[in-house]
Amino acid sequence: MSRSTGLRTPRLDRGKLRGREALLETPEWRELLESLPVLRSFFAGDPGAHGITALLHGVSIYLERLFDSIDRGAPCVWYNLGFNPELVYALGDAQPITIEMLGVMHNLLGNLDRSLAFIDRAEAEGAPGDCCSADKLAAGAMHLGLYPSPACTVGINTPCDAQVMGTQVMAELGRAPFFAVDVPYYHNEETVRHVAAQLRLLVPFLEEHTRRRLDIDRLREVCRLSNQMTETLWEWLDWRKLVPLTQSSKLVAFTLVLQILFTGTEEGLAIARGLLQEARERQERGERFFEERCRAIWYQDPVWTDMQIYDWFERDLGLTVPVDVFGFYAHTTLIDTSSLDSMLEGLARKLVNCHPMARQFRSDIDVYIQDFLHLHEAWRADCGIFAGHVACKHAWGGIGLFKEACRRAGIPLLVFEFDMFDPRVTSYDDIFFQVERFVNEVVLPRKARGRG
Amino acid sequence: MSAEFLQPFWRLCEASVPEPTARLRDSGRPIVGYLCHYVPAEILLAAGAQPLRLRGVGSEDSSAGDAFLSGRLCTYVRHVVSLALEGGFGPLGGVVCGNTCDHVRRAADVFRKKTEVPFVGFLSVPRSPRQDLFPYYRRELARLYSGLCEALCCQPSDEALWEAIRRMDEVRVRLWRLKELRLGARPKLTGADALAVHILAQTVPPEDFVALADPLIAALEASPGLEPPRAKVVLIGAELDEPAYVRLIEGQGAFVAADRLCFGARSVLPPFGKEPTPGGASRGDPLDAIARAYFFRPSCARMIGDFPARHEALLALCREAEAEGVIFERLMFCDPWGADQHNLGQRAREEGALPVLFLTREYGIVPTGQLRTRVQAFVERIEIQRARRGMAWGAVRP
Ligand code: SF4
Ligand code: SF4
Repeated sequence: MSRSTGLRTPRLDRGKLRGREALLETPEWRELLESLPVLRSFFAGDPGAHGITALLHGVSIYLERLFDSIDRGAPCVWYNLGFNPELVYALGDAQPITIEMLGVMHNLLGNLDRSLAFIDRAEAEGAPGDCCSADKLAAGAMHLGLYPSPACTVGINTPCDAQVMGTQVMAELGRAPFFAVDVPYYHNEETVRHVAAQLRLLVPFLEEHTRRRLDIDRLREVCRLSNQMTETLWEWLDWRKLVPLTQSSKLVAFTLVLQILFTGTEEGLAIARGLLQEARERQERGERFFEERCRAIWYQDPVWTDMQIYDWFERDLGLTVPVDVFGFYAHTTLIDTSSLDSMLEGLARKLVNCHPMARQFRSDIDVYIQDFLHLHEAWRADCGIFAGHVACKHAWGGIGLFKEACRRAGIPLLVFEFDMFDPRVTSYDDIFFQVERFVNEVVLPRKARGRG
Repeated sequence: MSAEFLQPFWRLCEASVPEPTARLRDSGRPIVGYLCHYVPAEILLAAGAQPLRLRGVGSEDSSAGDAFLSGRLCTYVRHVVSLALEGGFGPLGGVVCGNTCDHVRRAADVFRKKTEVPFVGFLSVPRSPRQDLFPYYRRELARLYSGLCEALCCQPSDEALWEAIRRMDEVRVRLWRLKELRLGARPKLTGADALAVHILAQTVPPEDFVALADPLIAALEASPGLEPPRAKVVLIGAELDEPAYVRLIEGQGAFVAADRLCFGARSVLPPFGKEPTPGGASRGDPLDAIARAYFFRPSCARMIGDFPARHEALLALCREAEAEGVIFERLMFCDPWGADQHNLGQRAREEGALPVLFLTREYGIVPTGQLRTRVQAFVERIEIQRARRGMAWGAVRP
């Protein structure tokens, strides 16, 4: 069926994205590439900033690989943020593209004009205003035709309904064969087996549409790297349990980014090692950039629109965030690399039991609450901050029981509403004001009374 | 003449627990509420319960539910939970929820932790109606059936399942006939009336429904039909169980000739048509039959990757109903239907596509002024389109 013309332009004109030059003609890609060296030089002033340096380096490599694969005409596989790309990496030169990536990166770089344009475009194309801005970032980028055409697309229903929406929009706009991975509600072995069985079907699907063979030794190597990254993350998070926290609060949320983009790659491992090295060295050197007065478990979503806000929390309020829900990577088993089946099972386990958000958000409220209580205790926090992303319906839907659990456990809790990718919903100043008041009027006096 | 036979449907669907269901409860039959049409009523009937599709009708404000669910969930779920917390359903023998959407999933948490309902069952329904995912759904139904039987102290059996299928088939046969009566140049049943009928089919015992439906069908069959409407539309969307809302739409000239509403025609399966034969063995597996029928039914927007099939089915329905437009209604905050809103909007921009009107609603509120204006404008758009193409009424085809 032919599409009508004359709509807002450009519209899904991906045919043009044949090589890196074409990609770099778009301001969205060009600005991204140009801002990386600026950021690198910005952080070069801190020789101990191994984490962010490795992250920026990893992003550069990812982009270089992406451009290279487009130049070579290698197949791209689109997927949504609940999925991990190990199987795609194991196909050799197939390029995984998570559909939220471009919008999230612009957001992280502070290039809000771009990311807000994605959100507005998605709404103009029919995405409801009340849906998750992560979806809108993805839909906007797809509508603008910014991703190279996929050979196929993979959608997973975790962590939430927003992803059910995002994947359906991807399936419609991707115009390529689509594979849905269904993750059930329960936290049990049957769920792991159920997902593993689908990954078993996903392999031939990917092979058929990318025209690449999944090499078992390559998969083994990818899984080995994935395991090493996981172990490194565990160790890193352990260092962040120490009081006071010496590494920046804002780094912790990047666990999620690592799992979505880098798991199974050398860069992923290098980033995790950078984060660990930084945490260890700063701790061993006893560095103090600020005086830690209290610690919070940041539950729900980070303020991606301005991660500097965590620096101000540290400096002005003495508040640190040793771990948050995007940063927590649950201790479970590693991938057993002895056979294809064992690897698929390990990958399934990782997707449903470890992947941040997917672990806590897909099931009943008990898992959500238990993880919070565990984080609060293990990372020795004084309070909880429920940073309620407006569109996280499952989270808001559990707020009453969550508050009750915090009250029972004697944990002071701040609840506020914002949008993690759209500062038009709640401004930076409003967020800061709410956190400031909570810290100064609730948490610190309480701590002084010896109850924190 | 048919009005007198329709009146009981309208009256009875004003209560969250209609009178025949309440009467059955008084006689000792447990009522089991459920929240989604992937929960087969047959399973509940076979376990000796009376199924009740939960509705928020009668809930004037949702604050009791909001205290747990916040104000960011769809108002349908918030009102249902409010009613449950305030005892608006009376004593329930059980409730069955599912992972149909995050909102219903969170409602299950509140049912478990904050109500006295003795049995809270849960169905994890796979997110795609794919063959390889079917066995999981079937296992879920088996688990639900045995759990429910245990809770209600009855013996699970194939006989009971076949009997439940037979009873529900009686309902389905009537609904199927009523669907036919909505079609044609002079339809005999409005969309609002049809919705009232469908609601009752999901909230009263099958036999009571049949007793109400038979005289209605006879009266409708004998009637000459309604005046040809200004424009025929198909109404699709999520939880709409307010016939008054549909009546308002129709009052503006947009006759709802068919629907794909969650509480409406989408809830109706074709009759299974398998009469149980004595002896049992050769009849196949009733649970399998139920699971297949429900899992592979025209899908809900929560089913990933199935939008193309849903769209095809919608076009086929438009053709069948001779509809010239589609009205899509969505409850605020609903993500599953948000995806279909986006995707349908995209396809509506294709050349030759039917016009679509997108409405966002709050449960329990019929926003007369705005709704009237928008529907009137939509009807005019259809009429202008019809005139431009120089075609006779009903000749615009998807
Ligand atoms: S869990 Fe919340 S933030 Fe994450 S995708 Fe879902 S709605 Fe968006
Ligand atoms: S309307 Fe949407 S959010 Fe509400 S119960 Fe139905 S599917 Fe869930």
